[in-house]
This record gives sequence, C-alpha cells and structure tokens, in this order.
Amino acid sequence: MSRIFYLVQKEFRQIRRERAFIFIIFVMPFIQIVLFGFAVNTDVRYVPIAFVDMDRSQTSRRLLTAFCANETYTYSGMAATEEMAKSLLDIGKIQIAVVIPPHFERDLRTGNRPQVQAIIDGVDGNSAGLVLGYVGQIALQLQKEWLPDTGMPDGSPPVGLTEIVPRMWYNDSLESKNNIVPGIIATLVTMITAFLTGMSIVREKEIGTLEQLMVTPVHKNELIIGKTLPFMVVGFLLLNVGILAAGLIFGLWMKGSLLALWGFGLIFMLSTLGLGIFASTLAHTQQQAMFVVWFFALFAMLLSGFFIPIENMPRAIQLVTYLNPLRYFMKVVREIYLKGTPVIYLWKQALFMLVFGVVMILGASARFQKRVG
Amino acid sequence: MKPIVTMTFPVSIQNLKKSYAAVPAVQNVSIQVQKGEIYGLIGPDGAGKTTIIRILVSLLDADGGEVLFMGRNVSQNVRYVRSNIGYMPQRFSLYRDLSVRQNLRFFGDLFHVPRHIQEQRLKALYDFSKLGPFQNRLAGALSGGMKQKLALSCMLMHEPDVIVLDEPTFGVDPVSRAEFWDILKMLASNGKCLLVSTAYMDEAYLCHRIGLLDKGRLLAQNKPQVLIERFDFPLYRIRSEQPHKIYTQLKATYFEKHIQLFGDGVYFIDRDKSGSAAIRRRLADLNITYDKFEPVKPTLENLFLELMI
Repeated sequence: MSRIFYLVQKEFRQIRRERAFIFIIFVMPFIQIVLFGFAVNTDVRYVPIAFVDMDRSQTSRRLLTAFCANETYTYSGMAATEEMAKSLLDIGKIQIAVVIPPHFERDLRTGNRPQVQAIIDGVDGNSAGLVLGYVGQIALQLQKEWLPDTGMPDGSPPVGLTEIVPRMWYNDSLESKNNIVPGIIATLVTMITAFLTGMSIVREKEIGTLEQLMVTPVHKNELIIGKTLPFMVVGFLLLNVGILAAGLIFGLWMKGSLLALWGFGLIFMLSTLGLGIFASTLAHTQQQAMFVVWFFALFAMLLSGFFIPIENMPRAIQLVTYLNPLRYFMKVVREIYLKGTPVIYLWKQALFMLVFGVVMILGASARFQKRVG
Repeated sequence: MKPIVTMTFPVSIQNLKKSYAAVPAVQNVSIQVQKGEIYGLIGPDGAGKTTIIRILVSLLDADGGEVLFMGRNVSQNVRYVRSNIGYMPQRFSLYRDLSVRQNLRFFGDLFHVPRHIQEQRLKALYDFSKLGPFQNRLAGALSGGMKQKLALSCMLMHEPDVIVLDEPTFGVDPVSRAEFWDILKMLASNGKCLLVSTAYMDEAYLCHRIGLLDKGRLLAQNKPQVLIERFDFPLYRIRSEQPHKIYTQLKATYFEKHIQLFGDGVYFIDRDKSGSAAIRRRLADLNITYDKFEPVKPTLENLFLELMI
C-alpha cells in the first residue's frame, strides 16, 4: 500500500513542475466559462427586419412600430414589393420580412381576418424558430390591443382573448447562460481528467519509465491507482475552480448542496479516468492518446444534452444516450445548480454513473494489465 | 543436484525459443552468467538481444526453453524476479521532471529500502557516479552520460545481485561510455552478475564473455580473445578511398565468399591459403587498383561477419 503513496507523491511532484497543469487547473475553467458563457448565447437579438407595407394605414404603422420597439429586431428599411423583400433575404441583408396586405386596416375592422405574412431566413433553424415565436407574441399583443375596435362579421359583441403568460421555472429569464455554465463545469471535468490520465500514462510509455516500473515490486493495481488518484484530485480541484468561476463571473451559485455535487463529481470521474486508462492502452504517443480521448469525449458531449436537448433527438439516439455517463452528470449538475434538487431524487443518476464508472475503470484496467504484460 | 548447479549461475537460460506471430525472434539460445562476470550479448539491431533480456526480466513469456533467475523459474516467480533483479531498459528511463535525488529516492521507496539505508546508498552512488553536486538538478537537464549514470544508479538503489542492461551506452559520447564501463567493471569485481547487450563491437572486448547473436541464433560464445583465435585464415586489408567499388568488383568474381566490406577498405580472407603474392597477382589480373595491400590481425567484427555467412 505504501507504494501507492510513493507513486502518488511522484505524480504530484511532476504535476507541480509542469506549468501547463497549473494553467489547466486554475486558469482554463475561467477562460472556458467566460468564453462559452458569453458566446454560447441562444437568445435571439437584433434580427434585421424589413417591411412591405401595402396598406399604409394607421394600423399597419402600429404593427411596424410594435416590431421595432422590440429589442429582438433591428429596423432595416421598407421594401416596395414582396419580391424586393425576398431578394433582401437572399443576399442576407435581412433575416425576416413582414408583409402587410392591402386593406389590412379595413379587413381588421370588418372582422375579415387579414393575414400578415412573415418570411424568415431558416438557415439557422434554432434562431428561426425563436424569431417565429416572437412574431407570434407581437401578434397576440396587438390583437389584444385592437380587440375592442374590431367587429365580428355577425355583429356579435367583441370577445376577450385568453392570454398566455409563460413563466419559466428555475430559469426565470430563460437565459442560456444558466443552462450553459453548469454544463461547462461538467464538460471541463470530463475532458481534463480523461486527457490528463491518458497522456500521463502514455508519457511513461514514451520515455520508457513504464517498462522500468514493471520490473519493480510495484503491483499493476498499485500502478493504476497511483496513476489515477492524482488526477481524481486534479479533477476535484477543477470542479471547485469551475464552481468558483461560475459564481464570480456570472453570479451563478448552485441552489443545491455542494457536498452532493462533490460526491456526484467523484463518482462521475471513475468513468473519465477509465476512459483515460483505456486511451493509454490504445495509444503509443501522447498525441494518439489525445485523439482517442477527444473522439470519445466529443460523442459524450454531443449526446449529453449539453447543447442539444435529448428530447429533441430521434428515439434510437435517445436510447444511445443512456450509455453515456456524461448524460447523467450533466443532468445532476443542472438539477443541483438550478433547482437545488435534493440527493434522494437523483439516486438513479448516481447509480448509473457508479455502474458505468466501475465497469469502465475495471475494464480499462484489465486491458491495461494485459498490454503491459 | 540440479538446484546446486543452477545456483552457481545467477542467470541460466537453456534452449530459449520465442517467436512473434510465426517469425522466430530467438532460436535455441543458451546462456549462463556467473557471479562477478560481465556477459555481453553482441549483435546488430533485430538480432534478438532485447527479446532475450525482456524474457529474463519477466516482461515477456518464452515459447520454449528454461529461464532461471537465482535458480528459480522466471515465469513462475514473476514477483520474485521483479523485486530482486536490476533492469535498465533500452532507453534510460527516468523522470526528467524530477530531480536527481527525487529519482533515486523514488526507486528506493518502491523497493521498500528503509530511509536510513537509502541515505547511505545515495552517498555511495554519488561517489562513483559523481552526481553528488547535481543532486537537486532536474534529470532532464543532465548530459547524456550523466542521465545514463543516473538511470544505472536508480537501478542500484535496491542493490540487486543480477544486473541486466539493454544497450545502456546507446547514443552516449565515447568518454562517458568509457566511464560507464569502468562502473560496470567495478560492479562485477564486487561480485555482481551482469548481462549487457550492445551493438558496439569495441565494448565486446570489455566483457568477460560474449555471445555473438544474429537473427535470433547464438553464433558463438566465449571469452572475446578465445573467439578471435577461432578465425584461423590469413587476413589482408585492401586499402582504398573507394572500398565499395572494389567490393562490387570482387563480388562478381570467384572471391565473392572471401571478402568483407569495411569503411577503410575491403578485407580479404585467404581461405585457400594461397599467400599474399598470389592474391595480389589475381587482383592485378582483375584490373583492380588500390592504395595498399597489407596483412592484418582479425577482429571480432571480422569473426562476426565470417560466422554470419
């Protein structure tokens, strides 16, 4: 057992000497959280808009100003015809064109249900969807405003519209940073622990010390523990630096228990350390180890629900995500951060992570033992 | 009786066989190394030196034959072998980002050498390696020769009786190589048993006994001087600025099997014992021009090339 201590001691001496490690642990979380937190913004703002107003009435002008009063749109001008508006869309000058038909005001008053057309640039599907949503909101708002003035064709009294006021729980302002920032913490822990473990084992292969270590009384299990334990500590540090960075930069502090997040983090790291060991058995150089880790980590990230909600995925791919330990950790981090969910409601995720972690670390270790002979 | 016989040889390899996917790497090699002896495994790259060494230190399994370390079967006593043998792999393996002292202490710790004994050994190791003044320097900042002495020292922290070195002087400057061999000789005179592989022929003369290895076969083994005496044909050197040209000319003639190509000329083995004058006449007949024709003493290289045929 004391040999594990010596191996861990040696590993920390090496980590301390390596400036890049210090950077990775203490600076990278801040940079990533700043970059992603600000840049990965799915809120849609300042969409260039143009109008085709064929009615030129007071009501149509009211519609125009309603759009322009909103921060979502930036007024880019009027187009004389629908064709002109379309060509503006084609060359990318605008992303949305609103076409108001002739006799819009008259039809509205007589209850003839005039139709306003919105043409949206759908290249970026995500923001197009959001733009469409905002159009609906503005329409609803105006209808409410105009309701007293509009008549029904059969002369019956005006009716009241039911208003829907959505209220987003746990993320009131529906700001993407609340969703993204905890996600970054989860991916940071994944990437860094798997990278460092894989590369540190392969480095010993490269310089030949692994072969030297094999011809000492060190048992292979001791060697694996000695190589992974230090990076679990590094991952744990990283997790806390991430938590600190999220709080200091975005004022986003977790609602739930820190202790729970620590526990889940450590369980989750079994999987990433296992991935690191696995990569080291495939690779002969540190670059190869990086490629292997990157290959798996990318899938893990894409299928974790970090950027793409799992509910949006096809059923078959949804099933695949159940095999992804990061899926559970992502869920746990967000739950603890935004909802403050108590641990008892997260036991399923913990169990899955534990099972995956144990399987991965044992499987990778068995492979490692076979490889080093 | 058997254990007593094998115990006189801390290293005993009998009829060792090893193949990599049907390609034979080692074929029927038998080597025994005594206490106080330096045994040199001599051969070109790919001769099987590393394979034999890795089987001896338990990193590889043999396909056939018997490998004994201190009288014990290696494959059945892996832990015993690994705890007691001293092994230095092909590249000198140490941690470049640890200091000299930290490297030494790390290996001492792994072998459970008590701290106070480690301090004594450090002193002795610093003495002969002259690494003392550099003990706090990072291993990566040492010169090639010093790195290699550090690797050797790390391996000596647990005072192994059997020391196995795989091409320890590869890529090291001649002065450092000479210093390194002085240390090896000192270890042998202290009763250690050393098995060293090398591709440098000049180092073969520094061993007590050598085995000439080619394509997995042991061509011959004995004391270097005894081996050279086996070369019992007169040998001549045809000196030339362009030995390669003469070599290709002769290669196409009856003398094909009589010549060896070296950097300073073509060596002529007088198998028929026809004498210097007769050979020179034949060379003149073949219109071969050269700078000088002189009798020379055979070296291990000549013997090696002769045995390889």
